[in-house]
Amino acid sequence: MRLGFFLGEAFGSMRRNWVMAMAAVITVFISTAILGAVLVTRDNLNQGATSLKNRVMIEVFIRDEATDEEKAALEQRIQSIPEIKKSTYISKEEALERFRKRFGERIVQNLPINPLPASWEIQVNDANQVDAVAAKFFDDPAVDNDPGTHNGVKYARETVRKMLGTINLIGIGMWIATAIFALAAVLLISTTVRLSIFARRREVEIMRLVGATNWFIRWPFVLEGFITGLIGAIVAAGFVWLCNWALSNWLKSSDIDFLNVRVFSMWWQSGSWPAGLLPTLAVLGAVLGALGSMVALRRYLKT
Amino acid sequence: MIVFEDVTKIYDPDVVGLQDFTCHIGKGEFVFLVGASGSGKSTLIKLVLKELVPDSGRILVAGRNLGTLRHSKVPLLRRNIGCVFQDFKLLPNKTVYDNVAYALEVVGEPRRSIRRKVPEILSLVGLNEKTNSYPHEISGGEQQRVSVARAFVNHPPLLLADEPTGNIDPETAVGIMQLLVRINRTGTTVVVATHDRDMVNRMRRRVLQLDVGRLVRDERRGGYDQVAEVEEQEALT
Repeated sequence: MRLGFFLGEAFGSMRRNWVMAMAAVITVFISTAILGAVLVTRDNLNQGATSLKNRVMIEVFIRDEATDEEKAALEQRIQSIPEIKKSTYISKEEALERFRKRFGERIVQNLPINPLPASWEIQVNDANQVDAVAAKFFDDPAVDNDPGTHNGVKYARETVRKMLGTINLIGIGMWIATAIFALAAVLLISTTVRLSIFARRREVEIMRLVGATNWFIRWPFVLEGFITGLIGAIVAAGFVWLCNWALSNWLKSSDIDFLNVRVFSMWWQSGSWPAGLLPTLAVLGAVLGALGSMVALRRYLKT
Repeated sequence: MIVFEDVTKIYDPDVVGLQDFTCHIGKGEFVFLVGASGSGKSTLIKLVLKELVPDSGRILVAGRNLGTLRHSKVPLLRRNIGCVFQDFKLLPNKTVYDNVAYALEVVGEPRRSIRRKVPEILSLVGLNEKTNSYPHEISGGEQQRVSVARAFVNHPPLLLADEPTGNIDPETAVGIMQLLVRINRTGTTVVVATHDRDMVNRMRRRVLQLDVGRLVRDERRGGYDQVAEVEEQEALT
């Protein structure tokens, strides 16, 4: 393959048809930027949701009168449940220590005895399993349940339920949005490429008459699509990154930081994108451009 | 060089391109195709290039049967056929030099030999002054000479010209025709489809006359039409 010649052809034709080339770059930029914005929002929401889910905790309080065997049995039980990600034992002393930090020395000094129970703090792998896991401790003899209630096992049952519903709904919504905008990007880019090739179909016809093989004709067009897509997508990726950065800075300095919105480093690693979201976008744009050219050329390269 | 055997090509819905056409054009010949518009001249040229496929019959070009020629080999066929068209078919975004060079790039000619061959052929057609002009900057006659240069730069064994003088003035047309004759002298078979009555009458070459897709006359050293010839003979006697 004569890469030099093909690159020369591609750049030459972009220079000569610079209006068309610009239009294509802008189209790629806009559609990729929108898609990128949707994906970044989705990633942010996902990570926010994950951190919220991770904070869902079950507290299991231990009766002061529980025997050592009962306590040991409870510990065994906790360790045997596979859904549990992490469990921490808080002794009575540690509980008092925490209390002291929170409410001050004076109140603690006035206490005749330590009224705080020992407890286990349990985090589960998946917030959806909170109910099931919590239920396993309802009848444990070591747990400080009043008869008929399960008040020795505490977790934010209603909050978890509502939160999970919202997160799942948002997740589905974002998937739909992603699909729609990805489709829109593909259609927009391929239409633009098809237009620019339609404008040059006579050239393709002449090339064929002179005896150019299909790949000889195709390479410059494919390279042109690749370059166009790459430029548009890189600019779009940079733009999305900048917006996200500015937004997160603003959020951090404002009062709504309690929502825990963060900028996730999108450059190399982010959530579900192994190579980072933005490089993925750039490559996507380039590949779309190249593929679009190939598909659009097919009509003119028959026979 | 070219063999047509009972070739029929009907366009949709019912337009005759060629009908039971049989002819044989030998190596090194110079042949005129004449006939009214729609008589099948362009169809014949497109069939030789395998731009069209016949409905029936057999076409051989340089001994190769086009019916069994695979799609992937069509570019190779075309590299051995130089083509000149009425509308020149030059690449509008390329200079005169690059237009001619493209035909060589296509066959993978090394850059060094391209740099040698292109100026050579351009001076042969008398265009070495216009090397860096774009097609729209030069006259129709000059554009046609570029297209002849492109067709011949590979020294193909066969050159097809479809109304090569149709869009240019008569004097320039003579120059183009002389170029084609010179090319023919190097051993290249030349087939020219034309409406140019004077040219055909003056040159006295083999004439194939078509009428609604049928071969109605095949004459060595013929004129544009039989009537003209009769008149001419009458004038002589």
